Order: sequence, then structure tokens, then C-alpha cells
Amino acid sequence: MTQKEVLDDLKAILVERLMFDPSRVAEVTSETRLPAGVEGSLGLDSLDFLELSITIEHRFGIVIDGETQDLTETFLSLDSLSRFVLARMGVA
Amino acid sequence: MNEERRVVITGMGTVNASSTGGTDAVLSSLALRRPTIRTVRTFAIDGCPSCLGAEVEESVLTTRLHPDVARRLSRVCQLTVVACRLAVEDSRIEGGPQLGVVVGTEYGDIRSTVDFVEGFIRYRHSGLSPMTFPNVLMSSMAGAAAIAIGAKAPSVTVNQATVAGDLAVARAAALVAGGRAAAVVAGGVDELCEALYRRLAQMGALSPMRGMGVEGCHPFAPDHNGPVLGEGATFLVLEDLAYARARGATIRAEVLGAAWGNIPTAPHTARPSQADAHSPVLRLLDHSGIAPSALARCYGSGNGDPEVDDWERALLARDLPDHSCRPGLSPPVSLAPLFGQHAGLGALRVAAGALDVSQGTGPVLVHGIARGGCRTAILVGSPV
Amino acid sequence: MTKIVVSGLGVVSPYGAGAKTFWAGLVAGACPIRPITLFDTDGFRSRIAAEAPADVVAGLAPSRRRSRGDRLALAAAHEAVADAGLSPRDLARAALIVGAIGGGMLEGEACYWEEAQSGRSSTRRRAFRSILPSSHAETLGHELRLGGPKETVVMACASGAASIALGADLIRDGVVPLVLAGGVDALTRICFMGFNALKLLDPEPCRPFDRTRRGMSVGEAAAFLVLEDAEHCEARGGRDYGKLRGAGMTTDAHHITAPHSEGEGMIRAMTLALDAARVTAAEIQYVNAHGTGTQQNDRTEALALRRVFGDGGVLVSSIKSMVGHTMAAAGAIEAVATVLTLQHGVIPPTAHLTDLDPEIPFDCIAGVARASQIELALSNSFGFGGQNATLVFQK
Repeated sequence: MTQKEVLDDLKAILVERLMFDPSRVAEVTSETRLPAGVEGSLGLDSLDFLELSITIEHRFGIVIDGETQDLTETFLSLDSLSRFVLARMGVA
Repeated sequence: MNEERRVVITGMGTVNASSTGGTDAVLSSLALRRPTIRTVRTFAIDGCPSCLGAEVEESVLTTRLHPDVARRLSRVCQLTVVACRLAVEDSRIEGGPQLGVVVGTEYGDIRSTVDFVEGFIRYRHSGLSPMTFPNVLMSSMAGAAAIAIGAKAPSVTVNQATVAGDLAVARAAALVAGGRAAAVVAGGVDELCEALYRRLAQMGALSPMRGMGVEGCHPFAPDHNGPVLGEGATFLVLEDLAYARARGATIRAEVLGAAWGNIPTAPHTARPSQADAHSPVLRLLDHSGIAPSALARCYGSGNGDPEVDDWERALLARDLPDHSCRPGLSPPVSLAPLFGQHAGLGALRVAAGALDVSQGTGPVLVHGIARGGCRTAILVGSPV
Repeated sequence: MTKIVVSGLGVVSPYGAGAKTFWAGLVAGACPIRPITLFDTDGFRSRIAAEAPADVVAGLAPSRRRSRGDRLALAAAHEAVADAGLSPRDLARAALIVGAIGGGMLEGEACYWEEAQSGRSSTRRRAFRSILPSSHAETLGHELRLGGPKETVVMACASGAASIALGADLIRDGVVPLVLAGGVDALTRICFMGFNALKLLDPEPCRPFDRTRRGMSVGEAAAFLVLEDAEHCEARGGRDYGKLRGAGMTTDAHHITAPHSEGEGMIRAMTLALDAARVTAAEIQYVNAHGTGTQQNDRTEALALRRVFGDGGVLVSSIKSMVGHTMAAAGAIEAVATVLTLQHGVIPPTAHLTDLDPEIPFDCIAGVARASQIELALSNSFGFGGQNATLVFQK
């Protein structure tokens, strides 16, 4: 899988599972900040991140352990998230 | 805390099959009497023993909620949030620790419950959505509304068949009268969704019940043969009179009293196993010193369910013996044909009473009785 | 001001039937959290819960057509009414307030699953009629011939406490002299799966206040209290377990699942309850905590307790460490536990607590019950969506 393909899949998840409007997701770049409380971010909260990580685990067949690891940096943007996914898939 | 406060209505907000807005919207739906009951359109109705409903236009919600807010709210939460915001705007009241919320609902969020379970049935563990699960709790609408309007006093949900909206308004009136909140946004909400609609129709709970006659909503009429489902949310702002005056609020009506009780009755039935020993209607009339002859009107919960219509008629005839054949009082006025049966209907009946008295009529009784025996009475008058 | 006494108690808990059995279990520090038997738990992070014992439930109510929740509720309500010695005449004017969430969903789920798998209409589809939370109040109102106001209150995990607070209001407002108030929840797949999906369940029995806590354990129970106008109770020679001095209910209005990070709504609930009870924080000796065992709840509740009582200013324990989080019943069984703590002068422990979280600077009665004569205690219940209720009881 390429990073582009992972990014497209992540954007699809934002629409299908996190219920974002497709037009809103179309504006999102790989650098757009994800967490709420950051200027210009997509405004995701803890529940969004949980939904996102469960869906990612299933879609990409990887395990995300948020309990023992601090994933704040991973979930900062689609860029960081897609690189994490590729690394976990052993594609990096 | 024992000192009783006077409770007034200072605003209303509604999203229903007929109109959406504040006081003006409620007024226009009552005045124009637009027909709203028609064949259900949002899902295919084939093979179902019933096909009628009173639905809210989808655009009503999409135009009133920012997509980033809407994406995290289930549809029934969206209905609640929009109606509560409209009520708060109508009343021009601010959020804060003095403002509470009471939500009445008959069914809560069946759609999310089914979605959550279907996720598991289809995709096993990975299909379980953390985002959907909180909606399964019936208190999610009150939670979402409290966030939307900044209500930090109690946020309570009451679950009850048929008279959930009445019960919510009555409980809110008690919270304000007892000084536990200066103001409470109270009313009811339900939505029409396929899983619920089909199930109720198959159980024979909707017109034409068990196949008798033509499907339709005809409360207290000889051809009544069951309720027709509606959907929407209607909320009123109930407020301490002194608080309302101090902030210069427009006072629409006063809640002269609210009471509720139980007539022991087997679940799902309308055949009491014991007489109603403590009529909330008599309690209210007695407490407020209002004679039955002074009542301008009674709005009843009768929705076309024959057994419950007859029961309501008999209860009112017993409690108002000299007025047992005064149309508009006994049998009471039903608003079910205008909006369809849903928990918002109780709040709409109280709203209608408030608008009547603001136009100069005498006190109005809002009455409710449900299968299972929950009975409600709310007395609305013009504030002196 | 109207005084309100608790004149009857009834409980069905994971220890079995009866308030006495419940109290004996708590004092022993026994933990009935075990592998779930009611439904399949294959592949879930946590597979345990505090179920009501099968043999006890089997013996509860004669009709198998009733939902498990109804049977738990009926047994607890009957016990409370008998314990209070109420006559049919008393019952005919008593109010009923039931905190509920799951209703008869356990049976509804089984039926839904069956239909989804077979593609045919289930013969047990009558179960769908009783899935709603209000089904319990319908059953109790009819079976006990209760003629006063009847209400089903849903306030997430604070439902049981809210029903007690709202019931007390009816007495204070002079509507009725007697209220049967409490909460009930049978275990459901949806609740179990949902909290698993939220990763809020500890795979091991929960460890509230422990540094290594990993979440809560779910449980099931029913608990009812008879609340009564003190004068009415005295006139009929009723029992006096203690007084409900005051209650406070607030909303965070902050987030749909997470509590306000500084516990703002929790602090307000406790402060309002103390004000209503006309007592100061310094007079409270014990807090029966919400204490679910999740990182976030326990941390936030501790912050709120520190603000209200000061570090170490009060004894704290969580019975959820033993009977799990019984959802809508939690606030009610914890109210019963608090009343019995006052009556017996023994504080139930926080089980499984071996390594106290330094962010929770309180004596949390680790592991073993402690004798302590207490006059005033407080019980906290905090629900999803920041719906908070606090009750203050006096011996």
C-alpha cells in the first residue's frame, strides 16, 4: 500500500464512520490537525479517536494499543497517522 | 425550599411535521391545521400492516445544525437540540447553573440501538461503534440538549408511553416550583424509524390495529381504530415567575398546577385493576380553587386508540360530572391528528393551552392517560 | 422543613436476594465478579461481570414470562415494602420512581438475535413489548397497587440516585407522604458490548482508586428504598433506618461521555446536596464514591472530592469494587449501602485496592471493612453526559 492509498482510506473512514460531510473531508490535507482545540483542526475528541482507531485496526489489520502507549503524536494529522499505519503494516 | 414559587411559560420551540420554530410556529400549526399524516416516505413500507405517519422534513434539521455538530448527534438528538435551542431563543433565556432540562420520550433512540446491534451482527467486534453506543442510553438526548443550551441544573429524562411529554412538563414544573431550578426547558421527543414503526405495526399497536376499518387518526370518533405515529420535538421554557419578571421575559401563561398519578393497571392494557383513588385532576382543581365550569377547554391525550380514548372520556366524565357532555372538555380536544403520536405531543398540548389563555380564554386543562395507568394533569392559566 | 426517613430497604444484588445478604457480602469484602454466564462473550476484552446468582434469580418470581429486570425489581420492591410494613392503604397513595436504563432488553436482544439468524419471526417476540426502561414501573405499579405518581427516570449511571432525589422532592412538596424509589438493571449484551467498545472495562475485577486500574466491571442489581415523611412514619410506628437529609443534581453540559476535566458538575452536585442538607463538608465523615475504576472517573471524582473536602478530609470507598457497576441500580444500591454503613457503624471496603493512586489522596478503606461510628455520609453518582447526583444521609 502507498501512503496515498492509506490517506484515501482514512478519508473514507472520516465520511463513513465519523460522519463527516464529504465536502468537508475534501478540504482536508494530510497536514490538517485532527484533535479538537487546535486552530483550524477537524475537531476530533476522544470518542472520535476511539471510533477511528477501531476502524483502522479492522481496515488495515493492525493493532493500536492506546492504553500502554501515548498516541497523541500519531493522531495529530492524517500524515502522521498514515505513516503510523504503514509502519505497523510493515510497509514503511 | 418549601415556599412554593409560581411557574410561568416564557418560550416554546418545536420541530414537528407541521412547522418548525418558536411560539409563532406553534400558533401557525394550530391555526392552519395543515394535514401532516400521509404515507411514510423515509423508508419503504411494503408488507407492513400500517403505512401512515407524520414525518419531519429532513431539510429542517440540515438547515439548522452545523454539519460538524450534526455529525455527532443521532437524529433524535438533533430533533431535541434544535427544538431546545428554538425554545431558549424564543424565551431569550441564558444557560447556566439555574437552567435545567427535562426530556420526555416514549422510545428514545431505537435507531441507534438497532444500528449498534446490527454493527455486531454484521461485522462482529469491529462493527461495534463507540460513537453510536452513548446514544443507546435514553438520557443521551437530555445530555446533548444540556450541552447545546448550556443547561447545568438537573437534566432528567422520563420514559413513559403516550404521556411522556406531559410528564416531563409536570416534573419540570415541580423542579421550578420547589426552587430546584430557576428555569427548565421541558418537553418531549420521539422519531419515526423503520425498525420501531414496523414492529409496532406488526404488534397491532398502530391504526388500523388488527385490521379493522380504514387506517387513520380519529380520536374520540366512532371510527377510531388506533394511533398514527408522528415524530418531532417540542419544548417549553418553564420559569419561576420572579426570575422571569426580573429578566424582563415575555410571559405567555402560568402553569397553575401539575400533578401525575398511577391507576394500577396491567402493563400495556387500558383495563384498571383498581379505581383511580387519587385523581390528579381533582387534586389540581381543588388546589387551585378553580371550578370545572371555569375551564375553557381540555386537551386530552386521546390519540385514536379506542380503549384509551374511551378510558380518558370516562375519567373526565367522572371528575367533571356536570360537564360530561361539553365538547372540548369531555370529550377533550386531541391534537394527535395534527402531529401524530409522539412524546412531543404532550408539550404541544401544553403549548396550545398556553396560547389559548394568552388570547384571553379561561384556564385550560391538559390531561393525559396511558395504557399501563400513568395519568397526568396540567392546569394552564393566564398570569395575573 | 419536612424530614424524610428511610423506612424500608430491598435489594437483589450479585450476592443474592435481600438487603441482609447484600450487607453481609459488602462487609466481608467478597467479590462476586465472575465470567459471564448469561450470554456469549467470545473475543471481548473483558468477559466478566457481577451477575445475580442463577439459582436466586430462578427462585424470584413465578412467571418466566417476566423479564429478568422485572424479576429483580419485583423482589427488591416487595422486600422494601414488607420491611417498611406498609399496608395496602399506604401503598394506594405511595409514589413510585424507578431509575432504569436497560428495561427488558436482555430478552429483547435474544429475540432480535434469533430473528437475525433465522430470518423468521421469533415465537418469543412478545419480549419486544417490554424492552423499554418504563416496563419495570408498569409492572411494579400494577403488582404493588401503587396509586401515587409513577415515573421512570433515566439519568445514565446516576438514574438510581436521581430517582431517590426526585422521590424526596415529592415528599417535601407535600404531594405524597411515601415514595418507593430505587433503580434496577439486568445485565444486557448491549451494555456489555458498548462499554467494551469504549475500552472502559477491566479484563480483571475492577480496582477503583488503584494506580493500576484499567476500567470498570459491569454488574446487575435492583434496590429500592421506602422514603417517608418522618411524621407519617412515626405516626404509623414505622422503621427508621436513617434520614435522607438532602440531594443535589447537576449537569456538566460539557461532553456526551467524558466528565468535565476538573469535576465542575460533580463539585456543584456535592455542594448543592450539602446546602440542601444544611450541613458543612467538615461534618461529613464518609463518601460512598461513584468510584467506577476507570482512569478518568476516579481521577476526576478525586479532584472534586479534594475541592469539597480537602485532601484526606473524608473517608472514601467504592462498593463497585465488589458488585461492579450496576448501571441504573448503582445509585440506589449505593444509597442502601450508605444507609447501612450509618446504621451498623461499619464502612464497606474498596476491594482489590493495593496500590493507591497518589492522585487520590484519601483513605479509601483498602480491602477490609472498617468499624467507624458515622453520623453523616454522602453518596455520589455520576452518569455519562455529565449527569450528576449526590445524596446526603444521616444516622
